[in-house]
Amino acid sequence: MNVAQQAINGLVIGSGYACVALGWTILLGAARLVNFAHGQMYMLAAFICWFILTRSGIGYPLAAAISIVAMALLGVGMQLMMGRLVMTQNLTSLMIVTLGFGYILQGVAGLLFGGAPHTITTELVQQKIQFGDVWFTSQELLIFVVTLILYGVVWLVLQRTRQGAIIRSVAEDPKLAQLFGIDSRSVYIAIFVLEAVLVALAAVLVAPRTPILTSMGFEEVIITFVIVVLGGIGNVGGALIVGMLLGLFTSFFGALVTPAYTTAAIFAVLLAFLIAKPEGLRTR
Amino acid sequence: MTEILSARSLTVRYGGNTAVHDVDLGIGAGRMVAVAGANGAGKSTLVNALAGWSRGYPVVSGDVLLDGQNISRLPPHQRSRGGLQHVPEGKNVFSELTVEENLALVRLGEDHAGRFLFSRSEVIDLFPRLHERRHHKGSALSGGERQMLAMARALLAGPRILLLDEPSVGLAPRLIGEVLAVVRSLVDRGLPVLVVDQNVRAVLEFADELYLLERGRIVGHGSAASMKNDDRILKAYLGDLAVKGDLQ
Repeated sequence: MNVAQQAINGLVIGSGYACVALGWTILLGAARLVNFAHGQMYMLAAFICWFILTRSGIGYPLAAAISIVAMALLGVGMQLMMGRLVMTQNLTSLMIVTLGFGYILQGVAGLLFGGAPHTITTELVQQKIQFGDVWFTSQELLIFVVTLILYGVVWLVLQRTRQGAIIRSVAEDPKLAQLFGIDSRSVYIAIFVLEAVLVALAAVLVAPRTPILTSMGFEEVIITFVIVVLGGIGNVGGALIVGMLLGLFTSFFGALVTPAYTTAAIFAVLLAFLIAKPEGLRTR
Repeated sequence: MTEILSARSLTVRYGGNTAVHDVDLGIGAGRMVAVAGANGAGKSTLVNALAGWSRGYPVVSGDVLLDGQNISRLPPHQRSRGGLQHVPEGKNVFSELTVEENLALVRLGEDHAGRFLFSRSEVIDLFPRLHERRHHKGSALSGGERQMLAMARALLAGPRILLLDEPSVGLAPRLIGEVLAVVRSLVDRGLPVLVVDQNVRAVLEFADELYLLERGRIVGHGSAASMKNDDRILKAYLGDLAVKGDLQ
């Protein structure tokens, strides 16, 4: 086994996990909301990008941007539909509603794009960067760098700016925030749009690495859930670390044992960790 | 006297229950007005309705006027931005934000006319403890410190009027007088204040006038001096000794 290559693979997988999880980290960690349509939004963003790339002559960056804008609009729509549930932070109802929304997205995507696998082809996926006997693609380097930058920016905004304090105040008590002159509904819309934008960005970055299917999305939600819980709800840095560690675990488990049971193994780790440390890496 | 805040035929219903019935009241410039009543009389519901705010979903009818403008249809954040500052009972600061962060959330509205503007240093002079505790989270503050922080937040927002719901709840007896004395000093600077408090004895010492609320209806209104002698106040809130003349 090439340990260095497995480590590189692990970091690439991990940054992909963390990138996909960032929107949820903000949603659940900072705003105390859940969106179980997260995985299907990832799927839809990937398919929108693929569709534009294959049906028009425009390049990957513009197709990615259009996909991100489309998901932002979807985020606004979801938030407007769920306004009262969000204001009362009714997580059980939100879970059910967003699960249902995810299934609707999946059904619509199946009707529009069919059930066959497709590939988002970008030049960056073809470009290999080799160092001795380890290699990675330019796309994978892009995922890694963008993920680190996004986590850094999100952490800074949440912890060091007034806008971040507003998000945290609305998350803690949206009703009380109104008495501070804060329009909690608008803040929630902004948070949902941010989540949608981040998941779309993750999709257009990460999805080109593997074939895309309209049936995908569930595993992305599960991995995201594990990262957010293990990282410690509300802990952006913890989510990044757990994402990377899960990536390394996936890579080495696949190489040393079998890739077939990686998801089951990840859940075994989740169970063991939560039994030992129920609060995750850190609590708020 | 010019009324800064007034309510006309204000009624609040929760489901089939009417918590506040057809209430008319007014708070004039530089006046400290108290609302007294037993538990469940509708005091908090009334003051929340003035602010357009509630943790539930009441149906509110009637009019609320701020500086003569009908604000009945405005959501609570817009009433707050307009200078109607409400400090609710119970949780009134963010426990996961520091004192500094709680205060930094406040932004003064653009329209300064008719507002009472307080600088950060003036607010800290009123509540010096907040400066000492500025890096502590709301959850680490005592009940009195949270009350001070909630009032400081309201003052920094440039109030036209201040609504205080049960400011003395949970405070040590010594602190109750201190908090109400601070409120009185604000009123003496001209800031109108509506205070709801079960501690009628303490409030009567500082207020200019008092509304008595029973089962959601205003059943008495007058100057604090006259209301001290109201039989219902004497019997229900000031005790037998007061009835016998001890309070006089």
